[in-house]
Amino acid sequence: MIKVNDLTHDYGHNRGVFDVTFEVSPGETLGFLGPNGAGKSTTMRHLMGFSKPQRGSVSIAGLDCTDKSSEIMKKVGYLPGEVALPDGLDGYGFIKMMQGMRKTKNDENVKALLERFRLDPKGNVKRMSIGEKRKLAVVAAFMDDPDVLLLDEPTSGLDPLMQEEFIAFIREQKKKGRTILLSSHIFSEVEALCDRIAIIKEGRLVSTVTAAEIAHGLHNIMTVSFESKKDYDAFLTSPLDVREHDKKSLKCSVVVDDEQINDFINAVSGKRIKSFDEHSVTLEEYFMHYYKTDKKFGGMSYA
Amino acid sequence: MISLPLLKQSMKSNAVMWGSMTGVMSLLCVQFSMLDMTRSMLFTIFYGMMTTILPGIYVLVTANKLISSQVDRGSMAYILATPTKRTTVVVTQAVYLIGSLISMFGVLTLSHLATNAAKPIALGELGYTMLAGDLTGKMILQVNLSALMVNIALAAVCFMFSGIFNSTKYSIGLSGTFIGVSILANMLAMFGNLGVDGLDKFKYLTVCSFYDYQSVLFADNDWITKMIFPALIAAAAYTAGSIAFNKKDLPL
Repeated sequence: MIKVNDLTHDYGHNRGVFDVTFEVSPGETLGFLGPNGAGKSTTMRHLMGFSKPQRGSVSIAGLDCTDKSSEIMKKVGYLPGEVALPDGLDGYGFIKMMQGMRKTKNDENVKALLERFRLDPKGNVKRMSIGEKRKLAVVAAFMDDPDVLLLDEPTSGLDPLMQEEFIAFIREQKKKGRTILLSSHIFSEVEALCDRIAIIKEGRLVSTVTAAEIAHGLHNIMTVSFESKKDYDAFLTSPLDVREHDKKSLKCSVVVDDEQINDFINAVSGKRIKSFDEHSVTLEEYFMHYYKTDKKFGGMSYA
Repeated sequence: MISLPLLKQSMKSNAVMWGSMTGVMSLLCVQFSMLDMTRSMLFTIFYGMMTTILPGIYVLVTANKLISSQVDRGSMAYILATPTKRTTVVVTQAVYLIGSLISMFGVLTLSHLATNAAKPIALGELGYTMLAGDLTGKMILQVNLSALMVNIALAAVCFMFSGIFNSTKYSIGLSGTFIGVSILANMLAMFGNLGVDGLDKFKYLTVCSFYDYQSVLFADNDWITKMIFPALIAAAAYTAGSIAFNKKDLPL
């Protein structure tokens, strides 16, 4: 449904997106995880047709986002990261304007959304809090029941209660079979909603993981201390991915994926072991490992 | 080609500025044409300066609010997240800008026509002693038409900067400079006209020179020919601004 192919847009000073390729299938929710300035919004910007790719292509439902953006927008609900609403309107005025520009009448939907997010759209938009503006933006994005949703940090500015409500709301949208691209830097929200998660760093996709992998634990880290130097040395010669070892304490840490379990058991069998510790990596740790390469990670340096 | 909901929003968000400029300009006009102290300066001061200064400020602020400031603030994202083409957005905003100037000068013309009917003024009293008769309604219409055309050109240049730049820092900076130079040069040229040697050369520096109320009063057709140039400038600038806005990458 959403296709990003080799998207490159260099803004200079190492900012922009580089060779970003991913796809969101119909009915799928893809989380786009990365800190501020990693290129999440830049990618969204290209999907919305605000910017043209320097190289590569972006399309939604088979339509090119650069030439056909106004046509694509009929099917897309977009929640911008920015909550600057058009000037000179009250909340109802804004909703009316959006209805007019979308050429739709969907008062019932609007009413349901307003009730659900407990928003009273009276009063000038200028004097509304960030949360209220965000809610108005949510109403505008969802009132037309769009098939494709592009959500750029959707819960920022909402209070915790409303964040929960919003996550429940997106779950319902998923059940309706919507295709969703959700950018965020909040792990809980991404973990709760997404079928797959793409991690972006300095404009490049560094990893894509599925929800199943996260539920299972993305990696297992085994930390083993041996009783003798001989066993310790023998373990180090095994083909396993030893990330850290310490001669003094005779301690080794290895990353063991499921398919390597037997190799690991072979490597430790017949050896005298002092202690053994297994640790599963959560999404947050996994993410941090890409971002803070020098940070101790699961008891080991993961550089 | 134009989006009515967007036009409505533009009208609402610029209503205060439009209302106050139109009000001030019409009041000044009524004052200049009614009070005995100021009547003689109706043309030199009011039509000579006010009809470019006041709308000049209006177009400077409004043209930038219509596009570049919405791009800079990010509210343009909400507009373009609807099935509305960029061409439609830019044409709608240009239509608002031109339309608001037309209605501004419409109100001004009507107020002047009304006061002129109540208290007619002889051309001789305006400083044109060689001319006979009173200031006619037709002349008032023609003067306002000539002023309107020049203001549409001023607005177009501001609109062009608004369409080209994503940052109001540049769009307001450049349109401000343009409006400032145009109005100042026009005033200096007017002093040149009134007899200060050398200052008349400033007329070559400003679009406002194509606005020629003297030609209207002398009932020759110069003012009509002179309207071609601001019309051409306006057409070129609106086109350039629209194309730039259509093609550029928006930082939304």
